[in-house]
Amino acid sequence: MKVIIVGGGEVGFYFAEWLASERKEVIVIDKSEQALRRIMEHLDVQTLLGSGSNPRILEEAGIREADIILAVTDSDEVNLVACFFANMLSPDVHKVALIRNDDYGAYRDRMSEKMVDISLVINPEAEVVNSIRRIMSAPDVEQIHDFVEGRIKMVGKRLPAESPLSGIRLTELPGIVKRQRLIIAAIVREDRLIIPKGRDFLQAGDFVYFVCQRDDLGRTLGFFGSESNAVRKLMIVGGGKIGRRLALELDRMKGFQVKLIEMDPDRCQRLAAELRRSIVLQGFATDQAFMEQENMGSMDLVAAVTWDEEMNILSCLLAKRLGARKTVARVNKFAYIPLVHAIGVDHIVSPRRCAIDSIMPALRRGKVINTFFIKGKEAEVLEAVALEQSSIVGTPLRDIKFPKEALVLCLARGDEVLIPGGGTVIQPQDRVIILSTRGNIARVEQSLMGKRRML
Amino acid sequence: MRWKLVGFIVGVLVICIGFGMLIPVCFSLYYHDNSIEALIESMLVSVLLGILMMLFGKAQWSGPSMSHREGMAATTLGWVAAAVFGGLPFYLSGVLTTPEDCIFEAISGFTTTGASVIRDVEVVPKGILFWRSLTHWFGGMGIIVLGLAILPFLGVGGMQLYKAEVPGPTPDKLKPRIKDTAMILWKVYVLFTVVEVILLMLGGMDLFDSLCHTFGTMATGGFSTKNASIAYYNSVYIDFIITLFMILGGINFALHFQLFRGNPRAMWEDGEWRFFVLIVLAATGAIAWSEYGHKYASVGDSFRYASFQVASIITTTGYATADFELWTAAAQCILLLCMLIGGCVGSTGGSVKCMRIMVLLKHSYGELIRLIHPRAVTRVRIGPQAIPIEVLGGIWGFFILYLTLMTISVLLVASTRVDLVTALTSVMACIGNVGPGLGSVGPVDNYAHMTPFSKWILSLDMLLGRLEIYTVLVLFVPRFYRK
Repeated sequence: MKVIIVGGGEVGFYFAEWLASERKEVIVIDKSEQALRRIMEHLDVQTLLGSGSNPRILEEAGIREADIILAVTDSDEVNLVACFFANMLSPDVHKVALIRNDDYGAYRDRMSEKMVDISLVINPEAEVVNSIRRIMSAPDVEQIHDFVEGRIKMVGKRLPAESPLSGIRLTELPGIVKRQRLIIAAIVREDRLIIPKGRDFLQAGDFVYFVCQRDDLGRTLGFFGSESNAVRKLMIVGGGKIGRRLALELDRMKGFQVKLIEMDPDRCQRLAAELRRSIVLQGFATDQAFMEQENMGSMDLVAAVTWDEEMNILSCLLAKRLGARKTVARVNKFAYIPLVHAIGVDHIVSPRRCAIDSIMPALRRGKVINTFFIKGKEAEVLEAVALEQSSIVGTPLRDIKFPKEALVLCLARGDEVLIPGGGTVIQPQDRVIILSTRGNIARVEQSLMGKRRML
Repeated sequence: MRWKLVGFIVGVLVICIGFGMLIPVCFSLYYHDNSIEALIESMLVSVLLGILMMLFGKAQWSGPSMSHREGMAATTLGWVAAAVFGGLPFYLSGVLTTPEDCIFEAISGFTTTGASVIRDVEVVPKGILFWRSLTHWFGGMGIIVLGLAILPFLGVGGMQLYKAEVPGPTPDKLKPRIKDTAMILWKVYVLFTVVEVILLMLGGMDLFDSLCHTFGTMATGGFSTKNASIAYYNSVYIDFIITLFMILGGINFALHFQLFRGNPRAMWEDGEWRFFVLIVLAATGAIAWSEYGHKYASVGDSFRYASFQVASIITTTGYATADFELWTAAAQCILLLCMLIGGCVGSTGGSVKCMRIMVLLKHSYGELIRLIHPRAVTRVRIGPQAIPIEVLGGIWGFFILYLTLMTISVLLVASTRVDLVTALTSVMACIGNVGPGLGSVGPVDNYAHMTPFSKWILSLDMLLGRLEIYTVLVLFVPRFYRK
């Protein structure tokens, strides 16, 4: 299995690392020697200096023998051209291009028609905005992810001692949660991942991953001792693409009080012209007197989404100091992420992280449309469409030869959400949400895949 | 400044006005009144002098197109020339005897004000009466072009937004595209006119009266052929038709055009339109409530007269079906407020206009917000569009100038020893191009008793109000004439 990655930035690095750890043969193409050096120092992959949009370089990288080309540079044009040439040189290769510009989204269908076999992963600021919206819907939750268009939520949350769930066996769970349907998918305890069985206990301090329906989320979080008071008062720091988009989305909805801080006076004028209800304030969000005047401390959430990540972190720290309930910072460099959590910023959004999340399903075999990682990359939750030829379809679950550490968490059939039991039969077109540890991913894919050849 | 070019334009206008007198000549022939000589003489004088002006300016016609300075000079001088030549038939027929009366009557016609110095209109020859109403209609046409060609340069509001909706002029020169837009809007204007004439005739008016009243309605003018104005007919149907068309005349004509193109949403989404309709409904409701049990015994009657009078005053038409001098003080106050607000931008209505009032109110509210959030950036929005800062300044300037000129005029008119209500409302009615005021210039009175000095002041007010103040005032700034 051979993978060519065009672009050795953070996104390229991430994929190179992950694919190499799955023992794939990886070649990274980049124009920057420095970026390549960093990759060579850390990863067991090949590198090639040059532009990915150059067909000669692609040939040199061995595009004809490759199975996948992944174009993830910061330039949409380079990514498109690289896939275009890859298509020309080797039509069979699976091509994935990352497009960041939102404007391409409107032309996606027509582009797919013209450029057959190129998977376009369009990942605009909208993704980042969506993740902020998710945080807003449950600000006290450490991790949250959407499946089946948001109808099913996967939540990661620490279990406090006062919770009625702490200390119980999983078999006792239905008696406590009553009608709420709550599935405990995984537990991280003392840095160890546990895929729980019925006889396992929940302990205070566990980091619990569970799946529930959107409408049950509020009540379910109640069992974790957290009130689901969603965000009403929001301060957005930075009126760039992300901040503007978020403000515009909230502006159209009732029930939000939004303050938008932007330092550029001209941009403020433009934003004020677009926003009806939100208040646009000109200045720096690190200016303490200004922020006290504007009651930063009484905010439910402060979202710092400027280009300048240091500024974002500082704004969040000031917000925390003034007493804001939750903060979210936009951080670009992956290296900062653990640091930022350590100093007390509650949430992080990262455009690159979002880009990776939206590329991931395109790399999976079978019709995987959504993936979510648990505890680094130790386990993965996949959302897939059950295909007719796939081996999980048509047989009761208890008879399916499924790896031991993989389980079907839930099913969405039409408007219905099902919690599968041993007798459940998966039908074609069902959305299946499957949890699997890393070692078993390949076999899960095998059973999902049917006859389609991919990774 | 190329004065010859300005002369040429004014000449063309005067010739058009001259030929326009041919229409009343037809009515004069039909009714065998004694005004035919006066009309033909006025026509000949206008056409000949117009040709002279054209010849004088011909040399410069082939040059580059008009600059906006020349446009402003031509507009003001054009309206003045229209008043002078349009006043000739009144003078030559002997209906009015002094120059200030003739100018007052003609300028009131061309600015679509509808204030009259004729004591008894029912004895005036039909040809002259028709000419008087026709000046309204021409004035209305002129206002539409004015809105497209001149007002955008002044930056005093509204038209910039309107430009975005219809293909309008480029900011620098007067381009032929204005002609296309003007043609479209004129078609709307003519179409409404035809429809209203037919509807009024169905209500029992003869062709002559329905034409005259339609001209007065569509141009939001207000000249009637009856001393009692629309009250003469005492017909619910006619009241309703005229109310409807006054309101239509007070709405931005670009919106009517959008409506005809099958886009009624444009009207609904227009912030100014909503504001206008809201004020009309609120004022009607308030007056009806105030007059029910006072002047009118039935709810139907209070609404009938209140809606007509509110529509008439807010669109600055000035027709009357009721003597609102007998109404309560509260009702009169509401009418005075309507007088100050006026119609929509891009309509034939006058006064401050809804758009500007809206902008001023919203801007003031924005200033309040800034007291609470000192660093807040606020923008004034009308519908989906934000008002540019320069336009905001222009609108404030306009409003202050409007009030200043009004105050000075009230002072001057009051110096002729009329009562305060008359002085105040006559000026408000003239600068707002409404027509009737209160006191001795109320709906059943006229302006004939005012002193010549007052008549000149009020004539100037009508011109200032109609040309949105800046167009006229800029001619008095010395810098305007420097190269």
